[in-house]
Amino acid sequence: MKKRIASALLASAVILSVAGCGNQPATTTAAAGTTAAANNAETTTAAADTQAADTTAAPAPASDVDNSGTTFNIRAWNEEFKGFFEKYMPGYDAAAQTLDGVKVVWTIVPSDDLAYQNALDEALQKNATASADDKVDMFLAEADYILKYTDSDYTMDISQIGVSQVDTEYQYTVSAASDANGKIKGVSFQCCPSALIYRRSIAKDVLGTDDPDQVQAALDSWDKYDAVAKTAKDKGYYMHASFAETYRVFSNNADGAWVTGGQLTMPAVIDQWTEQAKSYYDNGYIIDTCPGIWDEAKNNEMFATGKTMCFFGPAWYFNFCMGNAQDPDNGTFGDWAICKGPQGHFWGGTWILAATGTDNGDLVAKVMKAFTEDESVCENLIVNEGQFTNNKKVNEKFATDPSFGVDFLGGQNATAVFCGMTDSIKWENATIYDQACNEGYQNYIKTYINGTTTKEASLADFYSYINEKYPAVQTP
Amino acid sequence: MSSTTQAASVKHKSISYAGWGYFFIAPFILVYLTCSLLPLLSTFYNALFENYMDGLKQIGPNFVGLDNFVTLFTPRSSDGKMEIFSYTGNTMIMWVMGAVPQIVFALLLAVIFTSERMKIKGQGFFKTVIYMPNLIMASAFAMLFFQIFSAVGPINQIITANGGQAFLFFDQTWSARSIVAFINFLMWFGNTTILLMAGIMGIDQSLFEAAAIDGANSSQVFFKITIPLLMPIIIYVVITALIGGLQMFDVPQIITSGKGNPSNTTKTLVMALNGYIGLSKNYGMAGAYSFFLFVVTGALSFAVFRSTEPKKDKKKKGGKK
Repeated sequence: MKKRIASALLASAVILSVAGCGNQPATTTAAAGTTAAANNAETTTAAADTQAADTTAAPAPASDVDNSGTTFNIRAWNEEFKGFFEKYMPGYDAAAQTLDGVKVVWTIVPSDDLAYQNALDEALQKNATASADDKVDMFLAEADYILKYTDSDYTMDISQIGVSQVDTEYQYTVSAASDANGKIKGVSFQCCPSALIYRRSIAKDVLGTDDPDQVQAALDSWDKYDAVAKTAKDKGYYMHASFAETYRVFSNNADGAWVTGGQLTMPAVIDQWTEQAKSYYDNGYIIDTCPGIWDEAKNNEMFATGKTMCFFGPAWYFNFCMGNAQDPDNGTFGDWAICKGPQGHFWGGTWILAATGTDNGDLVAKVMKAFTEDESVCENLIVNEGQFTNNKKVNEKFATDPSFGVDFLGGQNATAVFCGMTDSIKWENATIYDQACNEGYQNYIKTYINGTTTKEASLADFYSYINEKYPAVQTP
Repeated sequence: MSSTTQAASVKHKSISYAGWGYFFIAPFILVYLTCSLLPLLSTFYNALFENYMDGLKQIGPNFVGLDNFVTLFTPRSSDGKMEIFSYTGNTMIMWVMGAVPQIVFALLLAVIFTSERMKIKGQGFFKTVIYMPNLIMASAFAMLFFQIFSAVGPINQIITANGGQAFLFFDQTWSARSIVAFINFLMWFGNTTILLMAGIMGIDQSLFEAAAIDGANSSQVFFKITIPLLMPIIIYVVITALIGGLQMFDVPQIITSGKGNPSNTTKTLVMALNGYIGLSKNYGMAGAYSFFLFVVTGALSFAVFRSTEPKKDKKKKGGKK
């Protein structure tokens, strides 16, 4: 018996070591520590029965919209839009997972380490030859890399599928979705001006007030922000949680792009942020054991036991990142408020793009229209989900409604605050390289901020990372 | 009839089985040629081209000769560091940190389990248990350890509950490397133990008996009999571990989200290779990296093999019996 076990083990050892060779998963990446970790690379292929031999579908005619598809393939990097889609999309049958009778299949790949872009690129390149059930019909893209897709032939001009009414949308969301020739390739279902989100009770203790106007007056420049950070520390609080918290506030106000003329040109504001983060770290204004903005250590600060006063985020931050604050037992529901903060900026945003070669053109158009033009969908997003939609008319309706308030924010009218911030969003400096630049920079500069390496060494590591991801970009 | 002529000719000469040898090794040769040699050559061929994606635009393939190899061995302009050597260094350091304890520990266990004196009960159970970690996916292991050592994980909860300050294990080179090495140790010591046990059980039992009769103590038996006769297996274990170690990828990749934090000190050669074939699909540079990896693996295996090879006259003794 023992021998049998031993020999079975040996045999499996041999098989395993043989199987181990050359079977390295090419893109095993895990969204370590992010909220999306649980949904890693999940492909929701609900039914295999619809995968009938459909490989000989005729190629789509160039001008007409192809609607022959029986599977509606959507790609995304997290579950956020999927949740809204399943709740509010008119014509969606949740039980059968179909939209107007067409099976909806989500492919979700987390964006960590550029895995989402990587998988999407491969799928789009194969889209022309993929079988009808595998064709990507629609995909989501974020501000950091949308340009890469809009400026390519892999996305469709949405006027071809009958989406043309964009005047209710915020201009920056339209610019972001337009290619170099001004053709509009997609729509955003959200507008993402990012606010300073503060804990009312801590603000009362530190500033003596929790009134959004007065807090804004006390924090409307970086000098004031620095001064309050010191006061907060003296009173036993942290100004914000991780070193990376204010990164987007600086980076969105850049006066130049990350890459110009094939050369990495780091905007000056990035260096200003680095020095701020370093000084906050050294002075103890932030939590030195908080590894990053997506870390659990930061999210735990939103519990009642948390000592952190400020967070930064757009409307999606409430539902997507502030789960701990909404915890019924240990949370801080209602103890929050928002104001513009030291500088206006935006963060993220989810654009819906139509993939070239889609065989569900009308459905793609229907989804785009539902989430931008359909006022009842937009109203639901605001009232039930606390979102700030990309429909000016609906947003303004709530912004000017004195009876509207968000309970989570102690009754504050968040929509009104966000409406006042949309003008300060800058778009012109976006490049196709932004995701790797923004994420890589924050990752590698960290060792300088926590004092383990010199700034030069951290920058050198960052440049290596860029060389690896973008061979065409020249680094110093 | 031809069969009779054949039979007649067979009568005259002795039967030659030489041709059968080729027949039996043919499958291996075929598999080797198509699955090993051909990819190796095509990797080298690919390394001679500039061939990558810039966003969604394909650049190349343009023949650039050995430019990719030149780039590979060019110190980076920002700080003069040679990336490829840092990554080789990282890989080797983390391998040694895991492999040395792995082999020592496995040897110890193998000797204990095969000892006639101790006669450990429930061996099957223990063997299964020590082999178990190898059955768990490296990625699952990495995620588990990432959680255990995270800023708010159980280890830090214990530290903070006792009045200490939370420690960011993945922000310090020594701790990040130690965790990677420890996972590899944990995953592979069972496998090594079983290989070494098989080796020890293959040693003629009468030698141990003779040593016992001559009054040799345990350590004398271990160093004078077990180790010398186990050498071929140990060499095999070291070389396979070395090759596996040079290909170290999944654990540090997952623990650091592919970034080799902190400061690229846990970035291994294969992680760098994976970085090149990721978003940029830079087959040229990736090919050059792979070829470098092949050369290093070959050289190190050869060195290990040479340094531990028994002297010519003793060679026969070390062989199987």
